[in-house]
Amino acid sequence: MERLRDLWRHRALVGVLVAREMKARYRGSVLGFFWSLLNPLLMLAVYTLVFQLLLPNRSPSTTPYALFLFCGLLPWNWLSASITDASSSLLTHGALLRKILFPAEVLPAVAVLAQGVHFLLALPVLLAALVAGALGAFGTPVPLGWALLQVPVLMLLQAALLFGTGLFLSALTVHFRDVKDLLQTVLSVLFFATPILYTLKDLPKGGVTGLLAWNPLAPLFAAWQDALFYGRFAPLSTWGAATAVSLVALAAGWSFFHRLRDSFAEAV
Amino acid sequence: MRSPVAVEARDLSKVYRRWGRSRSFGSLKSALLGRGLGKALEPSETVQALSGVSFDVKRGETFGVIGANGSGKSTLLKLVAGLFKPTSGTLRVDGKVSALIELGAGFHPEISGRENVVINGVMLGLTRREIERKLPSIVEFSGLSGFIDEPVKTYSSGMYVRLGFAVAVHVDPEVLVVDEVLAVGDEAFARRCLDTIKEFSARGKTIFFVSHSLVLVEEICDRVLYLSGGRSAGLGDPREMLAAYRLDVSAGEGTRLLAEHAAGQEALRGETAAATPGSPPEEAGGEAAPAPAERARRWGDRSATIDEVRLLGSEGGERYSFRTGEAVTVEISASPARPLSDFVFGIGLFTPEDVCIHGSNTEIDGLEPAVFDGPARVRLTIARCDLGPGTYLLDVAVHARNGTPYDYWRGACRFRVDSARTEAGIWAPERSWATEGGVSWTRT
Repeated sequence: MERLRDLWRHRALVGVLVAREMKARYRGSVLGFFWSLLNPLLMLAVYTLVFQLLLPNRSPSTTPYALFLFCGLLPWNWLSASITDASSSLLTHGALLRKILFPAEVLPAVAVLAQGVHFLLALPVLLAALVAGALGAFGTPVPLGWALLQVPVLMLLQAALLFGTGLFLSALTVHFRDVKDLLQTVLSVLFFATPILYTLKDLPKGGVTGLLAWNPLAPLFAAWQDALFYGRFAPLSTWGAATAVSLVALAAGWSFFHRLRDSFAEAV
Repeated sequence: MRSPVAVEARDLSKVYRRWGRSRSFGSLKSALLGRGLGKALEPSETVQALSGVSFDVKRGETFGVIGANGSGKSTLLKLVAGLFKPTSGTLRVDGKVSALIELGAGFHPEISGRENVVINGVMLGLTRREIERKLPSIVEFSGLSGFIDEPVKTYSSGMYVRLGFAVAVHVDPEVLVVDEVLAVGDEAFARRCLDTIKEFSARGKTIFFVSHSLVLVEEICDRVLYLSGGRSAGLGDPREMLAAYRLDVSAGEGTRLLAEHAAGQEALRGETAAATPGSPPEEAGGEAAPAPAERARRWGDRSATIDEVRLLGSEGGERYSFRTGEAVTVEISASPARPLSDFVFGIGLFTPEDVCIHGSNTEIDGLEPAVFDGPARVRLTIARCDLGPGTYLLDVAVHARNGTPYDYWRGACRFRVDSARTEAGIWAPERSWATEGGVSWTRT
């Protein structure tokens, strides 16, 4: 608990470091922060081209597919980039841990939040796409309304999940550098195992599909689909499961990280 | 009322893990189980960096730590700075600590100096408001006002360190931990850093100072801890500790030189057969600072042969480490190939840069050769070796009066001279100061 208070005390540090990541990332590029906006826009354009013209989607529940995919991919990109950055954050900033008294838990938090800012900057593009979708720009009009109110809560849940996972993986990476290599494979398997390219309801019943429902990321991403694409409130069971997963990840990551904490300065 | 002790260390030990044979699971497991790293490991997998070190640093004191490389100085520093946890023992540090271990650690190369100052300040525990207030003074102190808005990647290493130091001293800690940081940056800045540290001390702050610069330690420290091999080898008055350390260093150096001398003589004895008679080999001359092994050369027609050269201390024992002002005896063992009536024994004393300090021989010193018809030992005693601290080389020769070398041995001996004082130069004469009128001193 005291550690949690410490983290709150370090919010100024987290703040300046997130700002630094942003500044450093776009230093020297002409468009600067616009890239955070432009990248999702280009991504949407490519999907539209591919899935409206080249590979028309056959499943009515995920039409228009370009928009459907976009709604799942934005949170996923935040997730995968955060976890990649966070897991190597202690190693990347090893000098800080070795040379100055630095609160280590700040580093995974900065990785998650910096990627979160990119997600935030992409939200206006998403909103514009959803409005265009509601007006029928992608063919079948999509519903749009109060369901978007779920977005901030989902972001909070996802941030907690990412911070917990980031804490766990960053601490583990200090002792096993293998994590970094393994992680990319695990993330690409998870990408296909999580409802992003499809909805759970559309999958054939039984067998492997049953297993996919147990994927801890499934409730959160089902909720994202409900909130963004289907314009409806996710069922309570989904909310419950997603909240439980986030809290468990946060608690487990936190306690694992703090047990290993004293070993960081020597092992990085 | 606050405790008068700022840092209290009791029986501190630190064990590191060897990384050669990796046993990640072992260290992960021991860390997870809440034991110190290293406890679960075999003795062969660990390194004992500190063992049983105890000391108190009083509030407002400037406390120095000296010792050779690997004596545990840096480990102790990191323990006091709170970066590492001791394996056993207790350490209590009272008050906010700022560590000048690596200046500018955490600067991001892509963003400007100004932005880095703000971030670095927050990292070191200041609030944004405090930094904004101190920013002009930090920039002024660093002397980088013209470059403060340039990305840090364009800075030279000196500029980098100056900015890092400027931030660190503005954190205004109660305990300042200083590593070997003053070695970087130019003379003026080093002076300024030193003044800042002294000013800290004058304001009653506690300073924990680790350095190889003994002069600096003597200048600023109130008390000194001397570490040797991870253990405390002494704690007290800087002058005494530095003298103890210097003597240990020269004793260690003496042992090494003795072994080196034996090996060198052995090697050259083997070379004797192959030596060119008559003239010195070409590469022997004109080298700026040849390594002892390269500099050691021998030539001559071997009408007489030098069998051995030894240096003896005033107590009569063989050694190659002396203190300024001590008596030194050069002992030359030589034997003639046939009875000789024309012979001169000589020595030459050189610095490693090949500057001749002294050269003399039996002829210069007024000794007329009479007979040399069997193995003999010749001893030359220099009553006072008034050399400054350093390493010196000795040439030894037996030659004819007209200069024809019988056996000329360059670099036959290498020895060290150490001084309890830190005078400069190669000559350290016995000296005294006197005064008349309105000047007086007290002797320290």
